[in-house]
Amino acid sequence: MYRDYGPKGVKFFFIYKSLAHPELAGNYVQPFTLEERLAHARQAQKQLGATVPWIVDAMDNRLKHALGDRPNSEFIIDPKGVIVRKRAWSFPAEVRTDLETLVGKVEKITREEDVKLNIQLPLKAPAERGVVARITRPRMQAIEMKPVIKPKAPPFYAKLRAEVDADLLQTGEGKLYLGFHLDPFHEAHWNNLTEPLEYHLSLPDGVKIAKSKGTAPKVKAASDSDPREFLLDVEEWPDDKPITLTVTYSACTDKTCHVVKQEYTLNLRRDRDGGGARGVGAGFWEPEEFARQMLARSKRNDGKVNRKEVMGLILPHFEHFDANKDDFLDLEELKVVSEWLNKHHQPGAPAAKPKK
Amino acid sequence: MRLSAFFLLPLIVALQGQVAAQQGKKKNEADFVKEKPAVGEKLPDLTVYSPDGKEVKLSSLRGSHVVLTFGCLT
Repeated sequence: MYRDYGPKGVKFFFIYKSLAHPELAGNYVQPFTLEERLAHARQAQKQLGATVPWIVDAMDNRLKHALGDRPNSEFIIDPKGVIVRKRAWSFPAEVRTDLETLVGKVEKITREEDVKLNIQLPLKAPAERGVVARITRPRMQAIEMKPVIKPKAPPFYAKLRAEVDADLLQTGEGKLYLGFHLDPFHEAHWNNLTEPLEYHLSLPDGVKIAKSKGTAPKVKAASDSDPREFLLDVEEWPDDKPITLTVTYSACTDKTCHVVKQEYTLNLRRDRDGGGARGVGAGFWEPEEFARQMLARSKRNDGKVNRKEVMGLILPHFEHFDANKDDFLDLEELKVVSEWLNKHHQPGAPAAKPKK
Repeated sequence: MRLSAFFLLPLIVALQGQVAAQQGKKKNEADFVKEKPAVGEKLPDLTVYSPDGKEVKLSSLRGSHVVLTFGCLT
């Protein structure tokens, strides 16, 4: 559409916003700074392989809030800046119909197969994953969490994800998840040759949490990239009492190791920009679940998906996964795709291409 | 051939699920269209960024039709 309507003067932009599903393929985590979000947008440009330009929302998520807080909404604006179409979920076929009405039809429609996208793979972490067992957390929601960012201090190599269950949010008693996830953009891994990660919660009067201090288990491997996770029982947390969390850990890049001490303020309020972490342990695809999600993309409901219906990441390897060469991927073939994604598309994975 | 309730029940539940999902999508779209800013209103003139960090005022996009689509890495 960009190729068809760009020459007719229509401008197209993707708007980069907060992550809808942190920890999915690539194990990306919510950025803390604008520089980090800009790096996300540049990576999205590479992963999508599209030439449509991106603009990036500010860290206060002003554009997302101003335009209705949906993850994949779409707007058409007229030359005077007036909204002439809006939909909650992007639907390219309808955008084409809209543009035919607003601007006119094009002589030759560019089809998906005419476009050769230079799709690139997600970032990889510099050390293995799958070394430390993940906590399979119940269905939870992100809460407001503010990192204390100090000038000239090291970056947040590991970023906190704080989630609570529905009970805690509603009653002040329930489960609190603290996950320290390495940010693949900083290319750091845990240094397991020194003391493991430690957190400390400073609890104001009226807040009761059984384990206000915690230490991650010692790991035998010298380094890894798995998150350090804790699931805490909260006896009492009034929503007007913020908690201060301090974390100390050692992380290494390919050049040097850093022991960092970082601080956060946690509020018992749902973070509407936090997104929903997905998958088993929120990091890896469960094969059956993944396959069924992929099959749900097909409108035919015939238990298989074609090239147009699979996610872009799989597209370059479609022939490899199509074991019976029928030009479709079925449940069993999609399970193999999931295993491949788990093995090769998590940071630290050894190779990107499936073996032939 | 007569299908037993054993086979029909999951089929009915699955169809109901699909119908509910479709209705949910339609409701989401209908709710979204009613929300501010509505069709016919101006796009708010906010400042956002290009991927290389330069400020972009949305009013600077005026002068042609613009298609804006929200997205992210995951």
